[in-house]
Amino acid sequence: MKKTFAGLAFALASAASLGGAAYAQENKEVTIAVSIPAADHGWTGGVVYHAERAKAALEKAHPGLKIIVKTSPDGATQANALEDLTTQGVDALVTLPHNSDELTDPIRQVKDKGIFITVVDRALSDPSIQDLYVAGNNPELGRVAGEYMKEKLGTADVVVIRGLPIVIDEERQKGFDDAIAGSGIKVLDKQFGNWSRDDAFKVMQDFLTKYQKIDAVWCQDDDMAVGVLEAIQQAGRSDIKMVIGGAGMKDMIKKVQDGDPMMPVDVLYPPAMVATAMELTVANFYDQVPVRGRYILDATLVTKDNAAEFYFPDSPF
Amino acid sequence: MTDLAATGKPVRRSWKDVDLRAVAPFVALAVLLVFGTIVNPTFIGIDNLLNVATRSAFIAIIAVGATFVISAGGLDLSVGAMSAFVAGVMILFMNAAPLDGNLPMLAAAMLLAVGVGAACGLANGLITTVGRIEPFIVTLGTMGIFRALTIYLAEGGSIAMKSQELRATYRPVYFGDVFGVPVPIIVVAVVAIIGAFILYRTSFGRHVIAVGSNDDVARYSGIPVNRVRTVTYIIQGICVAIAVLVYVPRLGAATPTTGLLWELQAITAVVIGGTALRGGVGRIWGTVCGALILEVVGNIMVLSDLVSEYLIGAVQGAIIIIAMLVQRSLSRR
Amino acid sequence: MSVAVPRASTIPATAAPLMEVRGLAKAFGMVEVLKDIDLTIASGEVHAIIGENGAGKSTLMKLLAGHLQPTRGTLSIDGDPVAFAGPVDAEHRGIVLVHQEILLAPDLTVAQNIYLGRELRRGFTVDDRAMNEGAAAAVRSLGADIDPSVVVGRLSIAQRQLVQIARALLVPHRLVIFDEPTASLTPTETEALLAVIDTIRRKGVAVLYISHRLPEVKAIADRVTVLRDGRRVTSELADRLETADMARLMVGRDVSKLYPDHRAAAGDEAVLEVEGLDVPGYAKGATFRLKRGEILGFAGLIGAGRTELMEGLVGLRTAHGAVRLDGRPKRFSDVRDSMRAGIVYLSEDRKGKGLLLAESLRINLTLAALGRFVRGFLIDKGRERTALDGAIEEFDIRTRRKDLLAGQLSGGNQQKLLIAKMMLLDPSIIIIDEPTRGIDIGTKEQIYRFIASLAEAGKSVIVVSSEMPELIGICDRILVMREGRIVAEVSGEHMNENEIVVHATGATAEEAALVAERA
Repeated sequence: MKKTFAGLAFALASAASLGGAAYAQENKEVTIAVSIPAADHGWTGGVVYHAERAKAALEKAHPGLKIIVKTSPDGATQANALEDLTTQGVDALVTLPHNSDELTDPIRQVKDKGIFITVVDRALSDPSIQDLYVAGNNPELGRVAGEYMKEKLGTADVVVIRGLPIVIDEERQKGFDDAIAGSGIKVLDKQFGNWSRDDAFKVMQDFLTKYQKIDAVWCQDDDMAVGVLEAIQQAGRSDIKMVIGGAGMKDMIKKVQDGDPMMPVDVLYPPAMVATAMELTVANFYDQVPVRGRYILDATLVTKDNAAEFYFPDSPF
Repeated sequence: MTDLAATGKPVRRSWKDVDLRAVAPFVALAVLLVFGTIVNPTFIGIDNLLNVATRSAFIAIIAVGATFVISAGGLDLSVGAMSAFVAGVMILFMNAAPLDGNLPMLAAAMLLAVGVGAACGLANGLITTVGRIEPFIVTLGTMGIFRALTIYLAEGGSIAMKSQELRATYRPVYFGDVFGVPVPIIVVAVVAIIGAFILYRTSFGRHVIAVGSNDDVARYSGIPVNRVRTVTYIIQGICVAIAVLVYVPRLGAATPTTGLLWELQAITAVVIGGTALRGGVGRIWGTVCGALILEVVGNIMVLSDLVSEYLIGAVQGAIIIIAMLVQRSLSRR
Repeated sequence: MSVAVPRASTIPATAAPLMEVRGLAKAFGMVEVLKDIDLTIASGEVHAIIGENGAGKSTLMKLLAGHLQPTRGTLSIDGDPVAFAGPVDAEHRGIVLVHQEILLAPDLTVAQNIYLGRELRRGFTVDDRAMNEGAAAAVRSLGADIDPSVVVGRLSIAQRQLVQIARALLVPHRLVIFDEPTASLTPTETEALLAVIDTIRRKGVAVLYISHRLPEVKAIADRVTVLRDGRRVTSELADRLETADMARLMVGRDVSKLYPDHRAAAGDEAVLEVEGLDVPGYAKGATFRLKRGEILGFAGLIGAGRTELMEGLVGLRTAHGAVRLDGRPKRFSDVRDSMRAGIVYLSEDRKGKGLLLAESLRINLTLAALGRFVRGFLIDKGRERTALDGAIEEFDIRTRRKDLLAGQLSGGNQQKLLIAKMMLLDPSIIIIDEPTRGIDIGTKEQIYRFIASLAEAGKSVIVVSSEMPELIGICDRILVMREGRIVAEVSGEHMNENEIVVHATGATAEEAALVAERA
């Protein structure tokens, strides 16, 4: 799995190679808390899955290590969970916050107790709090999709289905808009699909009614792409040349691999980044590696040629 | 329901005798249809209308069940999570493929789904009545339980139908049509007809209204109040299962967003339809109309270029409130 | 029932009329429910308005208190014509209405209720101490003693009524309208209330008093106005009318014979035998027999456990003990069991437990016996309508239209509907709790006749009532309960109020005699 994160290969390689040298510290008692959103859609489901996987692997590798994984359905609950976790006495916190504004202060309070903070995916309002930041590249996810459309289609009428109105969505949208600026790609309409298959299905149905000719759909998330494809199939429309999602859901990667004409590429935004963040945080305690800083994962364009590298049939996402 | 005086003397019914409260949701729907057509003429196209009506099927079917629960003075917040759970169990069963042949498999899976739905409803009903706990709290609890069980079954991801062949067999249940009428619309009509029949014409239906109207009077009249309440929850569970039967073939999967907020949509549809949230009044056809109104509002919003995509929620909320105000002013006349 | 209240010694006959009503009329749609009413209300006078249900008393009262606007006619106060925009407007002019139903928040204290919506403030906070003091004073001025910091839910009905009156009288008032204030009070409580009204009168306030209970009217009123069918029959000084006169004027015929002749059951065959029945918390060791064709009364003070005993007997409450029906032991763990065995119980709480007020007459009528109207899976609405026609005929339910809701009927007609509903079960034993509470005299007479005819037909009836004359008038025997136990059985010449009061209160014979003397 490590090879998926080109930008991280170096850090992980050094962590792994130095692991042996830190042999004497293997039995050190370290407790790490992991606070992430509950599985409310496919991608967060993947986050939970990878967090649990990483916990099992890391605890096996380091006998003195204890990892507590806590999922929370919303921001307020997560703030409470952070307090609970801290009172249990932890050495580090790995967190994927529900939203930046609401959770910046609760995380700052954890930091004030001298705990090592790793933030995943969603940046805090005050970046000085975090010791380590691991994230996908949201503007890049939009940009890569936009560039691909520009290159393949030249001029085209495109509809966009957005996620939820939060920072991630805005960043992706902006990346996309910047990429297509001044090109022949014209956005007919934008609506929110709430990162839900059902809602994306409805919105796509309505787009199909509203516009007689649509060349391509950008829906920035593979879960929503499922609903979009179903709506197109039902309408029996042949004008749509491609649907571009994002994240790297296994079903979609499979379609790319199989050469589905509707789904020529996918853009990566892997939920496994939480595992990366946990591995790096553990490395901070057991290995002599300075891991502080920002680790941004590439928004890799998955094509028919490299799809096999990114296809994990066992993953839930 | 024409209540002619039983003296045999023919009573002339003028339009003043029509219960405007029962008609109000249909008036609101008609107004919305006109509004939608003005905003975007493609709205009134038969394809679009069929799409919208088909999409409203899940909420409409669930809301028919909710009409029973609410008429009897109860409430069920767990229907959304229950939908996801029933869908998950059904798909896992089909993926396990214990039977040969696609049709027997489908039939067995459907029976299983209805059974699971009924069992979930029975649990809600028994905890509410035997445990004497507010239905709000009980179903809030089971909502969490059903949702968590679904996520557990899905191991955090989604549960998708594996067999493409089975999927193809099942697909027409959502996408197919009979003489041009999409199957889900037919299912809604059948469920509503049966629901109306039970609520208006059987003694059980009469008991539901009596229990919701005043459970003391019902008890003193010898009506088994707890049994009636419990059965309304079972009906709700079965309706959820029927909605799932139509939902699964659409996207072939149960995901963590399946059924999200359906409970609120169903309750909204019931209330827009003229059923009193305090119980004692039940309007099946109004409920179906309410579900249509909800879906039509969303459809008009996407088809129009009136407001920014950020404000759609606000406009939807406002339209629902206005629809209720219109209804209230009609019934107060 | 008789009540004694000190009469104001002089009526200020020369006092200018406070309010004058001329040619007042009110129509709802095509139906005129009140026609050409003239009325003069003077300060310092209790003016009683009496009439049968449907005579227009409530409408008149609502017109005077600004809840309704008249179709024709004038109201004037101190000689100036007025038109009320609403109840608040009327209140500003000093007219307050004390409602029949208790309209208080049970979870708030006495003081909080009295000051609800007009809280006293100190700065930004409510001034609880001042409100408690004010409430205590208000209650004390009515001659009662209630702790203002107690929550209303813990008060008796009578105490709640006092709180409600205290609340109404908090605003400056010149005319107080009481709408059947004694409908749910015991004799002692009624007496206390009449004393309160007398206090109000002595302050020079005008009182409009609406009631069904003629002895009370006789006791408290200075002037009596009789309404019948929406018209004023007469206005007369109370001294010049006896209760029998009032009844005759109300009904329009002679009703001196209120209670029907009823021959005590000949046989000694017990249809129902109850032995040592306990209803935990309410009744203990109840033992009695009910004979075929008998009317058995249950007397006692409110709270003596009569209602709860009956509810325990038919399976509406948990109860332990032996019950034999026609000699065979029975257990009723659910009210449906006793219904199937032919016993029905008609609750004292007509509006809360007897009828679905928001549903039609038809739905109410058939609710308990719905199984009889089902063919296949369907309710046969035609048969239901036929049954409703039959019930309207048989029980003389007076209703303008058959599609009215039960809540739109008058109290008396609601009671008839409830009786009709339970009689559809074709019972052999009928238990009626407070059969005539809040019902006018004409309807009372009908209900008594109906109870007697049930007994004549060989059915057995238990009547639970707080109105002793009614029990004495129609029952063959009366059992008296006190504090959850059956303490006495009276029959024959012992069936008199004096003796029943002795048993019901546990008072000595001398004390009882004193009460009787005052009565």
